[in-house]
Amino acid sequence: MRIVVVLGRVLDPAGIVVNARAGRVFVNREEYLLQPADRCALEAALRVKDELGAEVVALPRSPLPDDDVLRQALALGVDRAIYLTGEGLRQADDAAMVRALKAAIERLGGADLLLTGATTLDSGQTQLGPRLAEALGWPQVTAGWSLKVADGRAQVVRQQGSQYVLVEAMLPAVVTLQPGSLKLRYPDGARLVNIYKNVGEIAQALETWDAVELVGEPLTPLVEGRGRDFPPPRERGARAAGSAAEMAQAAAAALRQRVGR
Amino acid sequence: MDASYLDLLMAQQEEVSEAEGGGGGVWVVADLLDGALAPVTLQALGAARTLADSLGAYVYAVLPGSGVSDLTPILYQAGADGVRIADDPSLASFALEPYLAVLSDLFAAEKPEVVLFGATDAGEQLAARLAQRMGGGLIEHVTAVSLDEATRAVQATFPIYGGAYFEIAACPQARPQFLTVEPGAFPTPYLDRYRSGEPKTLAVQPVEAAVRVVGAAEDFVPPAVPLAQAPVIVAVGRQAGDVELARQLATALGAQFAGDRGARDAGWIDASRIVDVRGVTVAPRVYVALGIRGDTFHNAAIEEAGFVLAVHPDPSAPIFEVADLGLEADPAEVLPALLEALK
Repeated sequence: MRIVVVLGRVLDPAGIVVNARAGRVFVNREEYLLQPADRCALEAALRVKDELGAEVVALPRSPLPDDDVLRQALALGVDRAIYLTGEGLRQADDAAMVRALKAAIERLGGADLLLTGATTLDSGQTQLGPRLAEALGWPQVTAGWSLKVADGRAQVVRQQGSQYVLVEAMLPAVVTLQPGSLKLRYPDGARLVNIYKNVGEIAQALETWDAVELVGEPLTPLVEGRGRDFPPPRERGARAAGSAAEMAQAAAAALRQRVGR
Repeated sequence: MDASYLDLLMAQQEEVSEAEGGGGGVWVVADLLDGALAPVTLQALGAARTLADSLGAYVYAVLPGSGVSDLTPILYQAGADGVRIADDPSLASFALEPYLAVLSDLFAAEKPEVVLFGATDAGEQLAARLAQRMGGGLIEHVTAVSLDEATRAVQATFPIYGGAYFEIAACPQARPQFLTVEPGAFPTPYLDRYRSGEPKTLAVQPVEAAVRVVGAAEDFVPPAVPLAQAPVIVAVGRQAGDVELARQLATALGAQFAGDRGARDAGWIDASRIVDVRGVTVAPRVYVALGIRGDTFHNAAIEEAGFVLAVHPDPSAPIFEVADLGLEADPAEVLPALLEALK
């Protein structure tokens, strides 16, 4: 069985300061984390590998200027990691990435299960998993809380309305996992040292493929950025007036509007 | 379309007209919540109406479901010029493939310019699949829209890091442009009782869903959310009065229960649930402070909260300076009425 895990990185929000008045986002400490949801997808893949045995291959979810995300994945136990590069990939959005990832999966010789995060920490994007499922023609289960593979099926717990249900899809399938859904493992010390020193067998497991060559045409993005906007300054210090009952009504209205969605 | 005010004066029924033969238009795919239209669907219709008026296009709503035909008047009232219903028992609850089959056949024929979904579970799945199938761009969690008139592209704003700042993006070439609208971001439009129309019914071919729902996951316990990441928090302080009522409020709001240092001293919470820069710094969507005076350490720890409701008997309590809504009252007086109003 081959499991493909699609991983991305995110700028640590603790290292940025948003100055709305200056209209700028200041990066005080440029530190990148593995996307929390992708990290859970990786954990789910490694658990399936531990239980049933599988080849786990890591691929990037977005254009990356370096292969650090893939090295982290290798340290955690992935068997192969493929760094996608190439002129014309740098601007790729999710639609363009899907074309590159589909071509990469074809070159790998297909896969039985594709796992990725249900959402990204920064922009909250949920489209990569479903887009990949559509491109590959596979069923999808999004926003899973746990994953189990048995009898050629992926069994996933997901939230539907207010309750949790168990759903089942035949493999091959795309499953996306919620951030914080699984207890994460620590990387293996020796693997961690070796992958960053580029020594031993593990160093051979990190490959670089040219995405544009894989696809055979330039990866033009569909969506382009048009700038930034900042939230208006908050007005604080408003007070409710009237009797206790009237104040309670005002508070209830405010709470219902904000909690009930 | 904007003659509705005149019609109001004349108390005439306005028959909404729509273009024949399809082509373009701003489309909204309706989402159901417990058999009624989800609020985000009406909000999306309001946004679609604004966009369509600047584009010079019509607004269409698609309503997939089973036994939903009596919901169509609301879609017209909220701003739709045309409504398509896909009414079939196979669409009774959301399943990806049956819904996808209906929508992709419809959009392949109608060639919409813009398609809006609510950013709900169903909306997010459908929007991404359709965007991939039709070669369209998708912008998610949209909180504001404007129009780039040169390219007729929708410029959509979406939050980064939960709203710390916003990015604006557009899809200049590819059509349709898919957007998922964040619930609560757009106002619910005024329901114009004089708007009405005749919905068209779509033919539905039953399609098998690829994912089977086995049943309720009874033995599954969702992982505990740490206090620092809780979306709603009810916190108590020395002046909270009846703590049992505060706990009931937390249950009613689905909130985590916490407190300030005074609450720990009173034995109401344990030390791991003190909201304070020396304890836990929180960033909830809603923070309710009951009887918390609000010292510097506490107030700094709730700086990232989206909405702060403070209840304290002392009008000069510092908590009111950081509160979005302050109630100068004893929590014991307000809480029973508040609990009653939230039921």
